[in-house]
Amino acid sequence: MIATRRDVIRALGAFALAGAGCRRERPAYRDGRLVVTFWYAFGDVVRKVLLELVARYNASQDRVLVDAVHQGDYFEALAKLRAALAAGTAPTLSHVVCEVLPYLSRAGVLEPLDGYDGAGDIPFVRALDQRGAFAGADGEPRVGVPFNRSTPIVFANANMLADERVAPPRTWDDLVEVAHRLTKRSSSGDVRWGFGVPISWWYWAAMVGQGGGRLVEADGRVSLGGASGEEAIRFWQRLVQVERVMRPPPGRDYQAWQSNSESFLRGGVAMMWSTTAYVRYLEDAARFPVVAAPLPRRVRASVPTGGTMFVVIRGAPAEEKRAAWDFVRWMCEDEQTIAWSTRTGYMPVTRTAVRRLEADGWYRNHPNDRVAYDQLADVDPWPWAPDLFRVERDIVEPRLEDAVLTGRDAHALMDEARDEARRPA
Amino acid sequence: MRPRSRWHPWGMLAPSLVLLVAFFIVPIGVAAYESFFSWDLLTPPRFVGTANYRALFGHGELLHVALRTLGYSAIVVTGTMSLGLAMALLVDRPGAFMAFVRASIFSAYVVSWVAVALLWMWMLDGDSGIVGQAIRALRGPGAPVLSVLGEPRWALVALAVVSVWKLAGYAMIIFLAELQSIPRSLLEAAALDGAGAWPRFRHVTMPLLMPTAAFVGTTTLVTSFQAFDVVRIMTQGGPARATELFVYAIYEQIFLDLSVGRASAITVVFFAMLLAIAGLQLRVWRSRDPVVR
Repeated sequence: MIATRRDVIRALGAFALAGAGCRRERPAYRDGRLVVTFWYAFGDVVRKVLLELVARYNASQDRVLVDAVHQGDYFEALAKLRAALAAGTAPTLSHVVCEVLPYLSRAGVLEPLDGYDGAGDIPFVRALDQRGAFAGADGEPRVGVPFNRSTPIVFANANMLADERVAPPRTWDDLVEVAHRLTKRSSSGDVRWGFGVPISWWYWAAMVGQGGGRLVEADGRVSLGGASGEEAIRFWQRLVQVERVMRPPPGRDYQAWQSNSESFLRGGVAMMWSTTAYVRYLEDAARFPVVAAPLPRRVRASVPTGGTMFVVIRGAPAEEKRAAWDFVRWMCEDEQTIAWSTRTGYMPVTRTAVRRLEADGWYRNHPNDRVAYDQLADVDPWPWAPDLFRVERDIVEPRLEDAVLTGRDAHALMDEARDEARRPA
Repeated sequence: MRPRSRWHPWGMLAPSLVLLVAFFIVPIGVAAYESFFSWDLLTPPRFVGTANYRALFGHGELLHVALRTLGYSAIVVTGTMSLGLAMALLVDRPGAFMAFVRASIFSAYVVSWVAVALLWMWMLDGDSGIVGQAIRALRGPGAPVLSVLGEPRWALVALAVVSVWKLAGYAMIIFLAELQSIPRSLLEAAALDGAGAWPRFRHVTMPLLMPTAAFVGTTTLVTSFQAFDVVRIMTQGGPARATELFVYAIYEQIFLDLSVGRASAITVVFFAMLLAIAGLQLRVWRSRDPVVR
């Protein structure tokens, strides 16, 4: 009875989503070439660079045709991917945010890639690879291949730093001091904020690590950093409401990120936390010199990794999966890795690419990229926890915004979050 | 007319009934069933009884969503009807210029919600938007920049105002059509009896507009309950969930938070609320004087 009803839902979903209510058993061909549908989630420059690389791959051989399809931002693309997986209409290849990898892996929808040709030979930068980006993932099959990878970083307007004779902060206390120096209020009510950061799980996770906490304890208990998680929230509350040196959060998800960058470029914010992925965009778009610095520490240095990993969908026809792997492997070759990272700002994901960049003087000429790369030494891996994504999106993210905007008690808020995290989804 | 067979009426009703059952009754039934499971679309569902409802009611989350949706709808329905009627009365005049004004006002209704939302995001921007600047000017010199969409107290009101702006043109056209169908002789007779402009409007125009007002009110209420695009584009339910309305909450639960069971529970409660409101509305309108209707 249940199976029949679910089949009906799946069929309806497939019909609604793809206009065709059946799962593909046979590979798709176009002009004699095997088609690999690749759902991606980039706009602007990154999208342009990706499409150029895809075109280059398609031109480099005549067996496989990668068909790249834009699906909105990361979370929109993920929502569509999940619906398509349930409906049996998923693409062969996609890329997903790191935190959702354990969940998708447990659901059994991702193709284990260890057995694919040359899978063990790619010299990935460990902190960016699945096994380095997650704690407790050593025994897990490889289901993700690092694609566009990043960490949070400080960007500052070098002119404003020079005017105030301050350097980027090295500790949280420094941050308060420097942000005070950089914040300027005019008599007309205009404010140049000393500091800006999107109120987001990613930055909060960095602060939990900097306070010495962990999101999930060794025994699997979701602690959300314990006291460190609460301290991180109190620090934001203090910067916004007490010190009044941090730009009040301007929105959710990537709207907040975009707004933060725009304000920085306009001169409305002197220093911000953002992603290393924006380094090229900010350097190119700013009418002032942009200087990058590592995130400040509280008791220690810590950053999470961000961005996405390639995933091959298990339910796709075998020929398409092999072809998708061929494209992924091609993308991990030095030439493509270097083109991708130098033109977008994402991290080079292989050690050989990094060595070539060093030998070619790239980091000497682009010191902000060097800062970003060096900060990989401070990476705290995510826990390999299937509930991680639910905890992020459903439990923590909305509460962070609530706490900073309304000043709710951090301890009560995090207790509530921990309670909810313990409850089954 | 008497049907030739007792099955004829059912045959006539069948196309509508099939669609109603397939796209309304079955999905609601499925949602009600799913609300007792924990299911993320990809892994096997697990029966959890009323846990989804308890979680939603326990945190007060559902109550907040319901109150927010009702508050948003109240502003949208009253604002749209009042503004639409006021504009209809103002532009109920002959001439090419008035025709141009009517078309201009109605054009907002034709534009997509996404375009409207993007336009208003830009206009409401505290730093550079025209409305943002106007708000700042009204607050006096030295007032800090107010990001309306980033302020939990104002974000929902801002979304409601945007919706009123978009829907008022539609209400205006419907009211205008009805206004122009009111016989002039009735208004002239009232004027001969010594009634001024306000009494004529109050005792002649308004009663005759009531069925139209009911229609505009109902359709606007339905539209306001379906609000999604404007939330998705302008606030994504934030700040601090201040603009999380029913349909967006369902979308967020099922697609972003991976919880079909929770989303189904919200759907069931939403359905019950709509049923109650529809029943109330029907009762109110059935109790009205049939002569007026």
